[in-house]
Amino acid sequence: MRHAGKMAASMLGWALRAARQIFPLPCRGQVRGYYVDWRMLRDVKRRKMAYEYADERLRINALRKNNILPKELQEIADKEIAALPRDSCPVRIRNRCVLTSRPRGVKRRWRLSRIVFRHLADHSQMSGIQRAMW
Amino acid sequence: CFPRALMCLPIRPKWLIFLLCVTYTFSLPILSSKTQKCFSTSTGFYNKEDESATSTDSSAEKASENQEKATPGNSKKNTLNIISEMKVELSSKKKFQLLKKLKSKKQTKDQPESLESASSMFQKATADSKAKRSKPLNPELVEAASAVASSLPFDRKQTVSDLLAQLRKHEEATDAQKRGETTNLSNVIADMKIGKRRLNRGVSRPSSQISFDDDDGQGDMFQRGIRSEFAGSLGYFFSYLESSPTLWDLEFANQIAAVNQKPPRNGFEEMIQWTKEGKLWEFPINNEAGIEDDVEFHEHIFLDKYLEDFTKQGPIRHFMELVTCGLSKNPYLSVKQKAEHIEWFQNYFQEKEELLKEIDDHKKETDLSLERKSLSE
Repeated sequence: MRHAGKMAASMLGWALRAARQIFPLPCRGQVRGYYVDWRMLRDVKRRKMAYEYADERLRINALRKNNILPKELQEIADKEIAALPRDSCPVRIRNRCVLTSRPRGVKRRWRLSRIVFRHLADHSQMSGIQRAMW
Repeated sequence: CFPRALMCLPIRPKWLIFLLCVTYTFSLPILSSKTQKCFSTSTGFYNKEDESATSTDSSAEKASENQEKATPGNSKKNTLNIISEMKVELSSKKKFQLLKKLKSKKQTKDQPESLESASSMFQKATADSKAKRSKPLNPELVEAASAVASSLPFDRKQTVSDLLAQLRKHEEATDAQKRGETTNLSNVIADMKIGKRRLNRGVSRPSSQISFDDDDGQGDMFQRGIRSEFAGSLGYFFSYLESSPTLWDLEFANQIAAVNQKPPRNGFEEMIQWTKEGKLWEFPINNEAGIEDDVEFHEHIFLDKYLEDFTKQGPIRHFMELVTCGLSKNPYLSVKQKAEHIEWFQNYFQEKEELLKEIDDHKKETDLSLERKSLSE
């Protein structure tokens, strides 16, 4: 009887851990399932791809951008890097506003567009931000 | 245990039945554990219908979960009827276990040991009773005993006879007490069992159903562990966790944990929650929080061992030496990542071996031709 109880406890503990991994506990508050618009979604996809291919791109570029290796090798490397998927290059990433997906006028430190930033700052919801006056 | 119980109770006929049931469970080891538990719930129910609402120690031990409802004006006949109508429900699991035990009992009936113990018990009881019994049993008690026996799913005659024997025992004990015989403390303590705490399980279950938990007293550690995580729902699990937990069980466990999470009452609890989630750093700040590098500095810097497979001369070697130089100065990569970096280059160059050979040959040809030209000029 006792052994069965201990077994049950261990199995339950395992079940708990497994459950947490499969179904992460929902956080309190609103959880949105959507990005602001499709452009933001595409940007997100590009970022993910760029993260995946980052190492490979770095290495192939290292082969390309030096004058020690023979040029033939570098030409082959050029072709290889061009063959990688287009969304894997980091140049295609655009730092959009996180809340409105505005592509322009985004301050890098806050990842917000100027309009949202101003709105929040005026409602004193930005920590350490004050209206400038001098 | 029973002398202690007798000391605190007023002795009434109904109480005697109740006591009998309680002590029956302690003293008779012949019957299976199932009967003990059955008796416990029957006593609990009896307690409900009883007139007196005073809770006793013995009742608290066994039927702590049941609330006592004072029902004034219950005649004896009513209670007896109720008891006889009461049927102890057994879950299928318990039924199977019961059947098993009954079978084993039948098998072991022939064995002399059990017979001896049973007979010795009864002999003792009868001898004592014969020696000291002066009053006959109360007819009301007999009636009550029969009613209780009818409500239980066991052999009726046997239970009735056992109950009556126990009653007799009680009577003689009370008589002995009345005479003022000292109760040996050592005996009392020896008879007392270690009371095990009961988890308040199945709070949401309807009180009309009698249900048992097999894992009542599995140990304090176990109970505490459960209490800390899930408060009352694990009772459901123990009866159903026989195979590996399915996805539904996992989801259920997850649901329970989510429901039991209460919103933080103050800022401190909020911060604790965030720290658990990983949103907040742990204070005092651990500078090496994410990094678990057990590697010494020399393994980061001296990476020549990875270059053993490369050719010792030529542009590739030159290139790789530059790469290792750069890696040795990189504090952000782990040793594994650096090794992977070098391995990638190795694989790359191995794939391009043919090309490299062609390039080499071509180079040599061009060099030779240049030399010839220079010589000729």
